[in-house]
Amino acid sequence: MLARLPGRLLQMIPTFVLIGIVVFVLIRLLPGDPAAALLGIHATPEALARINAQLGFNRPVWVQFLLFVGRLLHGDLGISVSERIPVTEVIARRLPVTLILVVMAAIFALILALPLAFVAALHQNRLTDVALRGIFQVGLSTPIFYIGLLMLGFLGARLHWFPVGGIGNGVVSGFYHLFLPALTLGIGLSAILMRSLRSTVIGVLRAEYVEFARAKGIAPWRVLTGHVLRNSLITTLTLFGLNVGTLLGNTVIVENVFAVPGIGGLLVEAIFGRDYPVVQGVTLVLAVMVSLVFLLTDIAESWLDPRLNG
Amino acid sequence: MSGALPTLAEAPTEASLRRKRLRISVPLTLGIIITVFFLVCAIVPGWIAPYDPLSFDYSNLQVGPSWIHLLGTDNFGRDELSRIIWAAQVDIQIALFCTIPPLIVGTIIGSLVGYYGGIADMIFGRVVDLVVTFPFMVLVIAIVAVLGPGLVNVYIAVSAVGWVFYARLVRSEIMVLRQADFAAAGRVMGYSDLRIIFRHLLPNALIAVVVYWMTDMALDILLGSSLGYLGLGAQPPTAEWGVLVSDGKNFMDTSWWMSVFPGIAIVLCGTGLSLLGDGVADLLAVKR
Amino acid sequence: MTTPLLSIRGLRTTLATERGQVTVVDGVDLDVQPGEILGLVGESGSGKSMTLRSILRLIRAPGRVSGQVLWRGRDLVPLREAEMRAIRGREIGMIFQEPMTALNPVLSVGAQILENLVAHTDLGRSARQARAVELLDLVGISAPAQRVNDYPHQFSGGMRQRAMIAIALASNPTLLLADEPTTALDVTIQDQILKLLMHLRATLKMAVILVTHDLGVVAQSCDRVAVLYAGRVAEYGAVGPVFAAPHHAYTLGLLRSVPDARHARQPLRPIGGAPPAPDTVGERCAFMPRCAYATAACATARPPLVSLSDGRLSACVHWDQLEANEWAAV
Repeated sequence: MLARLPGRLLQMIPTFVLIGIVVFVLIRLLPGDPAAALLGIHATPEALARINAQLGFNRPVWVQFLLFVGRLLHGDLGISVSERIPVTEVIARRLPVTLILVVMAAIFALILALPLAFVAALHQNRLTDVALRGIFQVGLSTPIFYIGLLMLGFLGARLHWFPVGGIGNGVVSGFYHLFLPALTLGIGLSAILMRSLRSTVIGVLRAEYVEFARAKGIAPWRVLTGHVLRNSLITTLTLFGLNVGTLLGNTVIVENVFAVPGIGGLLVEAIFGRDYPVVQGVTLVLAVMVSLVFLLTDIAESWLDPRLNG
Repeated sequence: MSGALPTLAEAPTEASLRRKRLRISVPLTLGIIITVFFLVCAIVPGWIAPYDPLSFDYSNLQVGPSWIHLLGTDNFGRDELSRIIWAAQVDIQIALFCTIPPLIVGTIIGSLVGYYGGIADMIFGRVVDLVVTFPFMVLVIAIVAVLGPGLVNVYIAVSAVGWVFYARLVRSEIMVLRQADFAAAGRVMGYSDLRIIFRHLLPNALIAVVVYWMTDMALDILLGSSLGYLGLGAQPPTAEWGVLVSDGKNFMDTSWWMSVFPGIAIVLCGTGLSLLGDGVADLLAVKR
Repeated sequence: MTTPLLSIRGLRTTLATERGQVTVVDGVDLDVQPGEILGLVGESGSGKSMTLRSILRLIRAPGRVSGQVLWRGRDLVPLREAEMRAIRGREIGMIFQEPMTALNPVLSVGAQILENLVAHTDLGRSARQARAVELLDLVGISAPAQRVNDYPHQFSGGMRQRAMIAIALASNPTLLLADEPTTALDVTIQDQILKLLMHLRATLKMAVILVTHDLGVVAQSCDRVAVLYAGRVAEYGAVGPVFAAPHHAYTLGLLRSVPDARHARQPLRPIGGAPPAPDTVGERCAFMPRCAYATAACATARPPLVSLSDGRLSACVHWDQLEANEWAAV
């Protein structure tokens, strides 16, 4: 599976090119002079001339694109208008928090969705199942900021069980501060996963290999963990990969609700600060993260499912 | 004679089969009721809202739910219930304006691409790859960021991305329908391609589009209110559910009703629309 | 006659479907002697597979099994689930029709043997591993030490069926329930698997219940045969005599529907019509509507399974009026 990794990475090049095009075009949507927009309040005639020369805004569009790609390949995303340091530095400073948050959220989603999908599937069409499906149906229609705000308002502000924002100091405090945001994201994701997982588990429970496992006389929990769970996990991964875009989109919102200093919060700050290079950079990073997660889930799937290894 | 009678009684008539097939389920009924309720709120808010949603009342600031103000008042003494009812207008508008342009554009492009295939289809495939790679919300936020906050720019941003999903759906339907006998019959009759596509093929694909449209409206209400909450969508003083939630967020510990009730409106409206979509899909046996 | 290994009396199984309770096994009586191969034949829906599953109580709730399943003198029907698990796989093994779906695709064949050994034996880790290799060797898989770590999709159809047999035999069961183990295979492979089963029966002193709808398979490999119809045993006896002179009109019809029994390896294409669901039979012979011998006597009650000479049983009112089977010389 690792042997195929370089091939898989090569396959992602067209995706990265497409992402580059979108991010490039994005800034061209700005009304008026892009150089002026990029410089924002710092736009002096000299600075405009410098930027125009540096970024080539006076050259043909395709040349501009090549220059843009060239800078990207050198890890150059431009200079942040508000902080006056390279965008890559701004992002690098705030990316780790987002990564930890997303990983925690994925774990929460798994802890929530998988057991509940099992419970629902094992009680198919009985009261428990109908109730769970009802709850998740409502969960699917609940905007993520609302879930977050309710958590923050009741568990944080009212009951003081959790801090109401920021990330605190130190590792333990950090996890404590990220607990509610991650739980919010996890609930949102589990609502999406739950529906398909339930039908997946129902399908696996009916599979003949589960019947065969029971005919071997092995304990029910071993049938559930060794066969049903194991086989459902593959679909779970696929579903997770498909929905990672939604998860990252939600991260932008949740970081705002909980004032988490990650790149999602950065994106919204940059929007209101008209810091377009940062908007561009964060958008790029989020899109690249989605493709990388696609790749990771692919690799994990082939690790869990020997049939994919030919 | 005697043998014919039981047969008559047992054989399901066309009408009874249809009744059986079109049995309206409980979730669908719920979906219809909720959706109609919010539509009424959106169309004639003035008939339902007990108060003027904009009139300040400094003697009743942040009063909790009571018989006078069912859902309490906000920090300017405005009646929360009336604000929520008037906000339905904006959110239903979001649901429609975020979905109808993509529906029309996507359906037309999807039909053409599905019917003709070739290079257009290949280019379309790339576009789909792209949109799938980008987190939808991030792309919309990025476009709004560049165009500037505001509802009109939200409509533009969502439409710029959303048409792809409709086009993808219609394309796959048309590609199947293209093979059908009546399409060949149309060609034999010498009908023009456009007439075959839009008069003969597309009507058969429309059920799937309508079902997707209902779910999409539910998603766009969530998206629109999220952007409103972030300050990128509807701008105050426009009452929009997401904006209302945001207005109350700083008063969660003292005046919880200010955020909680508008949020419930979003959840209810979203649930109603998706129940409606799911129910119609089940009813017409559309696979999703 | 020795005491039977397994003795089934009045086995009834109902399943819960969307249309309510459905009876799929409706009073089956059967005996299995130690070390014999009993063929269970019948058309689709006659209750063959469900009888097998009912023996091990592999019926999902709210389906129900009732009656008596005496296994070495002990009734399995009232056993608690945990006690039943000690029988499943350990004393009574089971293999299925389609190894492609009955083997878990994401676990190696070795792992699927090991979990059986973990459940039923005290063997240590390395002993279990050695046993797994030994089992694959036993069922005729070459290079077993290498193949034990292979996954089901890496085996051919016949080898997969051998692997499934190895898994079922891991804990040395004294009875193997085989649910159409050859139906999904090519003719030549079918033959190898049958020979393997006969060989294993002989070396392991194990009894087999072989469910099939293929009379050729029964003729080739079984000692005794039970013919099932509408969830009940229609006829039971040693294969030779039953095939030579069937004592049930249905058995006769089955045998005649095969053009040439010596080369019969195709699904039965019996008598016009289809077998009824057990629930719909009522108080008459279930086979009556399709039977050439039917008389008013068949319509009075559902004929009981009665003992005839030579340990043969039949549930046919006219068992002694049937013509001889014309190709009795099988």
